[in-house]
Amino acid sequence: MTQLPPPKLSQLSRTLELFRSFQKPLFLRLSKLKRVSISKSLLIVCFIGLAFFMLLPIIFLFNNAFKPMNELFLFPPTIWVKEPTMRNFEQLFLHAGAAVVPFTRYLFNSVFVVFLSLVVVILVSTMAGYVLSKHRFHFKGLILSMIMLSLMFAPETVAIPRYLIVSSLGITNTYLAHILPFIASPVAVFLMKQFIDQIPDALIEAAKLDGANDLYIFTRIMIPLAAPAVATISIITFQAVYLDIEGSTLYTTKETMKTIGFYVSSLTINLQNSVAGQSMAAAAALLMFIPNLIMFLLFQRKMIQTMLHSGVK
Amino acid sequence: MSRQKGYWSFRLKDYGTGYLFMLPWAIGFSAFVGFPVGWSLFNSFNNVRLTNDGFKYEWVGLENFRRVLTEDNIYPIQLLTYFQEMLLIIPLILIFSFFVSLLLNQRLPGRSLIRAIFFLPVIFATGQVLMELFGQGAGKLPFIAQYNLDGVIREFVGPRIAEPLLNVLSKAVIILWYSGVQILIFIAGYQTISRSVYEAIRIDGATPWESFWKITLPGMIPFIGLNAIFTVVDLFTFPFNPVMYTVRDNMFRPQTGYGYASAQAWMYFLLILFLLGAVLWITYRSVIKRGGFR
Repeated sequence: MTQLPPPKLSQLSRTLELFRSFQKPLFLRLSKLKRVSISKSLLIVCFIGLAFFMLLPIIFLFNNAFKPMNELFLFPPTIWVKEPTMRNFEQLFLHAGAAVVPFTRYLFNSVFVVFLSLVVVILVSTMAGYVLSKHRFHFKGLILSMIMLSLMFAPETVAIPRYLIVSSLGITNTYLAHILPFIASPVAVFLMKQFIDQIPDALIEAAKLDGANDLYIFTRIMIPLAAPAVATISIITFQAVYLDIEGSTLYTTKETMKTIGFYVSSLTINLQNSVAGQSMAAAAALLMFIPNLIMFLLFQRKMIQTMLHSGVK
Repeated sequence: MSRQKGYWSFRLKDYGTGYLFMLPWAIGFSAFVGFPVGWSLFNSFNNVRLTNDGFKYEWVGLENFRRVLTEDNIYPIQLLTYFQEMLLIIPLILIFSFFVSLLLNQRLPGRSLIRAIFFLPVIFATGQVLMELFGQGAGKLPFIAQYNLDGVIREFVGPRIAEPLLNVLSKAVIILWYSGVQILIFIAGYQTISRSVYEAIRIDGATPWESFWKITLPGMIPFIGLNAIFTVVDLFTFPFNPVMYTVRDNMFRPQTGYGYASAQAWMYFLLILFLLGAVLWITYRSVIKRGGFR
C-alpha cells in the first residue's frame, strides 16, 4: 500500500495561523473583543432607556386608570400608582348602567360599524391600489396627485360639506352614515399602491397567459400577496373608525345609533372639569385604548414590513 | 378596419377593468373628500350666511382673505407662532429619527422588539388617546416645572423666541412619539444603499466616520426629503393644532361664518403647500448637486 503524502499545505497554514494568533498579545485581542461588546451593550442600554420613554404614555395610561382619587390630583403627576384600586371602573360602570341607552348598545354599534368599514375599505382600496399600480387608464396621474393633496387636508375643515352630503343622501341616523365617509381613504389607497408596486409584473403576466381573468388575479394573487398591506390598512382604518366621533356628533341624532367612541368622549368632555369625572375619564381612556393595543400587537410585524416596503404611512 | 376595431376593443377591455376597479373608490372619494374640499374653496370666496332656507351665498372675491389678514387680530399671529414652532420641531424630529434609525440599523440583539416599541406611538398618536394623555398632563416634561426653567429661558432669549421654544420643550415627548414612522422610513432607506459601496470605501481606507458623511448621508437625502414632507403633513393634521381650533370656532360663529373660516383654512393650506414646495426644492437641489437621482 502506498502511503498518501501528508497534507502539507493545510498543516502549514494551520501552524501559520497559530503563529499569527500568538503574535498578537492576548490582552489586546481580548480588549478588542470587549470594546465591541461594551459599545454594543451601551447602545442597547440607551435604546432600552428610550424605549421606556416611548412606553411611558402606555404605562401612565394603565396606572392612571387604577389610581385612587387622591393620587389622580397629585402635582407633579406621578407615573406609578401607589395604592391601586378598581374604584374608577366601578364608578364608570355604575354611571353607564344609569344611562338611558345601555352601554352594550354603544358597544354593538361600534363593533358593527368597525367590522363593516374594515371589510369595505380593504376591498375598495385594494381594488383601487391594484389598478393604479398594474393597469393603464386615463387620469391616473390626476388621481395620484389628488390622493397626495388630500392627505394634507385636515378633515375638520370639510365637516359642513360632508354633513350636507350625508343629509342629502338621506342616510342620517343609519349605520351607513358611520361607514360611507371612511370608504375612500386616501392613505389606504396610497399605501396599497406603493406596496403592490413591488409585486413583480411577471407574476400577473404568467397568470394571464394561463388564462386567468382580472377577477381571478385580484382575488387569488393580489390579495394574498398584499396581506401585510391589508393588515396595515386594517390597523389604520380600525383606529380611524373606532375613535371617530364625527359620525356620532354630526350625522346621527338618535342616541341609539352612536358609537362607543362618542360615548367615552362625551363622558370625558362633560366630566373633565368635575372632580368626580376625572377618575371615570381615566378608566374610560384605558378601556378605549386596549382594543387599539390588541390590534397593534396582532399586526405589528406585518405593519412594520409594509412600512419598510412602501416607505410612507 | 377590423384590426383597428380589435385594437379598440382591446384598449376598452384593458382600460375598462381599470375604471371598473377604480369606480367605488372614485365615487366615495369625490363624494366625501373631493367635493367637500372643492366646496370649501368655493366658500372661501363667498360670504356664507345660514338662513332658514339653507345657505345664502354672496360672492365677495378675495374679501375674506383680506379680512383675515388685516382685520383679524388673533389668526395671523397664531398662524405665525405655529409656523415658527413647526420650523423648530421638524428638524428636531428629522435629526432624532435619523440617528435612532442609524443605530437601529446595526445588528443588535432584540432589534425587532426595539423597532416595534419605537413604532408603537403611531397607534396612539392619533386623536382621542393623545388628547386624553395631554388632558391628564402626560405629555409634559416634569423637569421644566420643577426647576423653573421657563423663567430662565424667558430671561435669556426674550419673549418673542421664548414662546415657541417653550412650546417645543413642552412637546418634547411628542417629538419622540411622532418619529416612529420616520425611523421606519429611514431604515427602509438604508436598505437602498448597497453593501458593496461600503466595502469599497473601506478597502480604500475610509473610516466609518468618513463613510457616513460621504456615502450614507448623500444617499439618504431623498429619504430625508420624504421624511420632511411626511412630518410637515403629520404636524399639519395634528390634533392640538391651535390654528385648527380657531378655524373650527369661526366656522360656527355667526359673525364670521363658514366662508371666512374656509378662507382661513385655505390660507393655512397654502402656507403648508409653500413649506412643502420649499422642502421639495431643497431636496431636489441637493440631489442634483450630488449627481442626479439614482
